[in-house]
Amino acid sequence: MTRARVTAALTGMVTALLIQAGVVAPVTAPWPVSLPLVLVAAVALVDGPGAGMSLGFAVGLVADLGSPHPAGVLALCWLGVGLVCGMVADRRSLRRDALAAGSVCAVGSALATLLLAVVHGGALATDAVVYLLPTVLGDTLLALGVLAVVRRMLRTDSLRAPHAGYTELVVAGGRG
Amino acid sequence: MRKLSRRQRLSAMVLAAVAVCFITLDLGGGALRDAHTGVRGALGSLYRGTDAAVGPARRWIEGVPSAGTNEATIEQLRGDNARLRGRIAQLEADRRTAAQLAALQHGAVTSRHRLLPARVVAFGPGQGFDWTVTVDVGTGDGVHVGQTVTDGAGLVGRVLHADAATSVVLLAADPGSGVGVRDLRTGEIGVASGQGTAGFAFSPLDPAATVQVGDQLATGPNGATSYVAGILVGTVRSVHRSADGTVRATVQPTAAPTAVDLVGIVVAVDGSGLAVRAGR
Repeated sequence: MTRARVTAALTGMVTALLIQAGVVAPVTAPWPVSLPLVLVAAVALVDGPGAGMSLGFAVGLVADLGSPHPAGVLALCWLGVGLVCGMVADRRSLRRDALAAGSVCAVGSALATLLLAVVHGGALATDAVVYLLPTVLGDTLLALGVLAVVRRMLRTDSLRAPHAGYTELVVAGGRG
Repeated sequence: MRKLSRRQRLSAMVLAAVAVCFITLDLGGGALRDAHTGVRGALGSLYRGTDAAVGPARRWIEGVPSAGTNEATIEQLRGDNARLRGRIAQLEADRRTAAQLAALQHGAVTSRHRLLPARVVAFGPGQGFDWTVTVDVGTGDGVHVGQTVTDGAGLVGRVLHADAATSVVLLAADPGSGVGVRDLRTGEIGVASGQGTAGFAFSPLDPAATVQVGDQLATGPNGATSYVAGILVGTVRSVHRSADGTVRATVQPTAAPTAVDLVGIVVAVDGSGLAVRAGR
């Protein structure tokens, strides 16, 4: 993990949280569309499950601590989103990866809503089902833009993953 | 599909275990209260600092649908270029703000409340709508935890957390919240439980109480609610009576929870002797 990657992750995390709270959440309410979560998915789709789950846990924990619900709920669900997106990455088609990101993010948000309803009571379990399809649409649209930017940034020399060659070999082996 | 390495599987399990520990700690006794306070304070300062840039963009996007309902504005917009359309939408947002300010002042005069105007600068930082909003006033302006928040017409929520310059407001429609209310037609008291975007569910304390569609509910009675009494909560939309005689009504909120922008925090109540109490 280079200093440039850590700085970029912190900057991206804070920026995504601010835009989420200031623009995305008010405009898309009551759908649980989430820019920080889409950012996690995009990083996982480009850099793999390791980077995805680490960023998902970190961003989710900060979002948890800034919210009234118990800390750890979003961290748990978002690390799962990072993990799954890293595993299902296609990398050849931007639109296919954006759809994967939107779908996985929407399912992750639905699980977070269910978990919040169970442990905190600050959400309705039915919302997890009712808002699933609109959230897939909203997250996919966000992912189209975010994924293009993240792909471009993470392929620069300063932000490239240190062991990208290894993950590529695993992908090739898995496709067999 | 990509396979996980052994190290990645182990890392995922450790992180998941840590997250579960955090949930348990936070639910158990508020062991992470200081961490919540610190992060909320830091994010609140950032929201307030960036609202000058982010706020106009949000209000412009939110103003687009309502700008389309104004015939005169539509005629004007047709002849303008894209930049001018953006400026007109901003003007529409300002007009709404002026109308909201007037409503706040009217509400303050008629209800004898002293209101501190505040603008919403952020919603929840996590996913979608978290049933909290951050406003741009804090303890330095006289805000304290537990104070009631209104939009001039109806109940919005109450202050959950206050920093020097920003405050977090828990919306009354939060699915985990309950508001002590009184039916203004019959005087019956009961509890209005938050139902998210669906508004509230009203259950009168007296199972034999008559509740009708159109009944208005207001916070109260004095001393029995964590909110300032006498603020409209909503209007009964439908009434259901179960087999055991229990009455349950759905309530349309007076203040739309997902459209709050300019609000007033009740910092004092004149003449009635009511004190603002801490809640939750």
